[in-house]
Amino acid sequence: MTAIARRPVSRHTAPVPAFAELFEHEQQHLPGSEAAALDAWRRTRFARFETTGLPTQRVEHWKYTNIAKVANVAMGLASRPEVKLDDVQRYFAGGPLARRLIFVNGHLATELSHVGGLPEGVVIKGLDVMLRDDPDRVLAALAEDRALDASGPHSFADLNAAFLQSGAWIEVADDIVLERPIQLLFLTVGEASAVMTHPHIIVKLGARAKAHLIESHVGVKDGHCLTNLVADYEVGAGARLDHDRLQLGAAGTTFIGLNRIRIGEKGELKQTVATLGGTLVRNETDMHLQGSFIEAQLNGVYMPIESEHVDNVIRVHHEQPDGHSDQFYKGLALDKAKAAFAGKIFVYKDAQRTNAFQTNNNLLLSDDAEIDSKPELEIYADDVKCSHGATCGELDPVALFYLRSRGLDRDEAESLLTYAFAAEVLERFTDPAVMKLAQERLIARTPGGANLTDML
Amino acid sequence: MATALETVQDYTAKAYKYGFSTAIESDMAPKGLNEDIVRLISAKKNEPEWMTEWRLEAYRRWLTMEEPNWQKVGYPPIDFQEIYFYAAPKTKERPKSLDDIDPDIRETYNKLGIPIKEQEILSGVAVDYVWDSVSVATTFRAKLQELGIIFGSFSDALQSHPELVKKYLGTVVPQGDNYFAALNSAVFTDGSFVYIPKGVRCPMELSTYFRINEMNTGQFERTLIIAEEGSYVSYLEGCTAPQRDENQLHAAVVELITMDDAEIKYSTVQNWYPGDAEGKGGIYNFVTKRGACRGKRSKISWTQVETGSAITWKYPSCILQGDDSVGEFYSVAVTNNAQQADTGTKMIHIGKRTRSRIVSKGISAGKADQTYRGLVRVLKGAEGARNHTQCDSMLIGDKCGAHTVPYIEIKNRTAKAEHEATTSKISDDQLFYCRARGISEEDAVALVVNGFCREVMNELPMEFAVEARKLLGISLEGSVG
Repeated sequence: MTAIARRPVSRHTAPVPAFAELFEHEQQHLPGSEAAALDAWRRTRFARFETTGLPTQRVEHWKYTNIAKVANVAMGLASRPEVKLDDVQRYFAGGPLARRLIFVNGHLATELSHVGGLPEGVVIKGLDVMLRDDPDRVLAALAEDRALDASGPHSFADLNAAFLQSGAWIEVADDIVLERPIQLLFLTVGEASAVMTHPHIIVKLGARAKAHLIESHVGVKDGHCLTNLVADYEVGAGARLDHDRLQLGAAGTTFIGLNRIRIGEKGELKQTVATLGGTLVRNETDMHLQGSFIEAQLNGVYMPIESEHVDNVIRVHHEQPDGHSDQFYKGLALDKAKAAFAGKIFVYKDAQRTNAFQTNNNLLLSDDAEIDSKPELEIYADDVKCSHGATCGELDPVALFYLRSRGLDRDEAESLLTYAFAAEVLERFTDPAVMKLAQERLIARTPGGANLTDML
Repeated sequence: MATALETVQDYTAKAYKYGFSTAIESDMAPKGLNEDIVRLISAKKNEPEWMTEWRLEAYRRWLTMEEPNWQKVGYPPIDFQEIYFYAAPKTKERPKSLDDIDPDIRETYNKLGIPIKEQEILSGVAVDYVWDSVSVATTFRAKLQELGIIFGSFSDALQSHPELVKKYLGTVVPQGDNYFAALNSAVFTDGSFVYIPKGVRCPMELSTYFRINEMNTGQFERTLIIAEEGSYVSYLEGCTAPQRDENQLHAAVVELITMDDAEIKYSTVQNWYPGDAEGKGGIYNFVTKRGACRGKRSKISWTQVETGSAITWKYPSCILQGDDSVGEFYSVAVTNNAQQADTGTKMIHIGKRTRSRIVSKGISAGKADQTYRGLVRVLKGAEGARNHTQCDSMLIGDKCGAHTVPYIEIKNRTAKAEHEATTSKISDDQLFYCRARGISEEDAVALVVNGFCREVMNELPMEFAVEARKLLGISLEGSVG
């Protein structure tokens, strides 16, 4: 008798046939489908999606989210409903002179967008335009498939590639400093039937370039809608990217975002993400520090209420020496909500003198809510300073007592402390308009938040 | 002056000193594993039928399971058919008194610095000696019996108190709990059994000394400790093995049970043969240890000093069922050369106001890889539960790795959980400071390392603390940077 062999277990579930039917049907209508290389690439990626399937909770990265429940159902591609300027305007950020691309259910709304008057060396275009005009260029940008980094193929990145249809293409040439912010505004308008969109954002900052990018994902009408976003941000050597992302999903919307960030030597990144809405939100970030002396800051706050579910997964790869990364994430869970955070810092063998920090503080505000936190370190260099801290608890009774002794009643004191806990992250937004929008939404979500408006 | 790195390298390079083997005749079952072997082991131990059935059930479950591979350790597949699952020192009869013990075995224990008789009388520790998974001697048994304490080998307990064994065996770690626990349940050969009756405070430390001697054997022992209402016991466990080129498997199961107001303190100094500098040989230490705080205000405290084994893979855990119960985990893990360790704990908070504390110190040197993996789970009913976790890693040299994988899952609003972790190295500054005060390089390293581990060392019982400190020194010889 020989040794008992290991049998591989399937940790994925097979996709429903509707995906294949939809792909067969839509594939020739997708932008750039006449380009053979692009078409072949879409087919390959779809085939891989079919083989891999959708992750179950037995996949370590998906431990806290049962994605198959909402994503493995028959869905059509979202149509492009009419939206009035008034509906959109209230989500404008970055000031009146910001350059803006506006997407409705993943489709670029050219009549609402403003990208004129750009300095030379700056390109802001819809990805659909790029796919039609220059598919090879897009393919070259996507060729380096960084989704493979983590652990095998990424089902949702494959699905995104297969249905690649729209999104944003932003290029800033070397040494150009963009004075005005760029806003990408994604509106999700719920439809009668279940739909999905697969936008892709590609941002490339040349050496020493500077830009401020605002990304808003807003749900304006409830309905079953899956947004499967893939975003690639490339920050060149000595470049700086300020990145604000506001996620205000509506009921019934599922948001799956995969962010791949690459930073070159002496590059800087400041990213702030606020998740304040959406039935299921998954933010996955893969950040590679590919040069030395990089500064990267990732801030985030998430506050699911009712039966919402938020899952944050962050992987920071320190590949070169003297890098500095800081993760600052705060979570609040109310009602029956579930909030998860899994952050991981990798310090590669050569990345000596790395400073990497990670903080995840959580506030559990209901008996039926759940908080999960998994702060991880994987370190292969010895001259490093790495630390992480995670906490979970309820409001501090001492702080409550202090506020009550100053004349606030219990409810007010609780609202104020809850708001203050989350607002600390909002203050890190680069753009004041984004901060204000986020604060409004935060107040609306805080129990007894209405009382706060007078106080603040 | 040598740099810190060189000093540590010298310091960590010392050889394993318990690596001798003893030529004694053993009674061995045929190689490999099947139902007949399970039956044979059971028959050799003269076990009641329910026990044989229990083992067979575990074996059948094991067949349906697959070897886990989620852990962060790498090793070639184990061929379970190449292992001898039963090896016992051959004696015509069980020794009646300590004087009857095979002189070779006694000599071995002497070499290990633990003379079977004399030292125990001096230190007042009752010891059960386990040789290739079979208990060879137990000291102080009579004295303990007066208090109603049952302490001895698992096989004896199965003969003399089958009802107790039957009642508690597998209630904390069920047969099908995991791959290696299932294997252990099927083939375990011996181990220790402790029963502390109501209200009794065990007057001495109880200790088991494990030694693997035979080649190609696996050691599968099972420890079961029950502390009845209001009782207290402190239990020590020590392990060594001879130096061999093949890897040997050690898959033990430890179950602890505490009733109302009872306390068990379980300390381990694990120094199995770690393999040579290239990673050849050494013990695979795949152990399942779990305690259940069943009673109110009960307490289980795990303290471990892990310096040996080629691969250490274990998570001593606490299930905090009783209200106000307390779980503690203190660990120092040292990996050097090609050693790998994936260790940590699980604290499951079920009862109200349950508290847990985790202090884990990892030191990684040479080409070693070390992971802390821990879970703190607060269930919905665990009103006012409290956890504090601290895990610090120290890296010595640039070829080793240190990883931290904590899971925190909170379902109760009033619960508080805190986790902090740091990774650092012994700096040249620290060493220079000591050197400037006339402390030799080697002592300086030991001083810094001991300071780093102090919180855990303080938890060890006296008898072990001294040994553990020495072990730390030996394991790290040749390595700060």
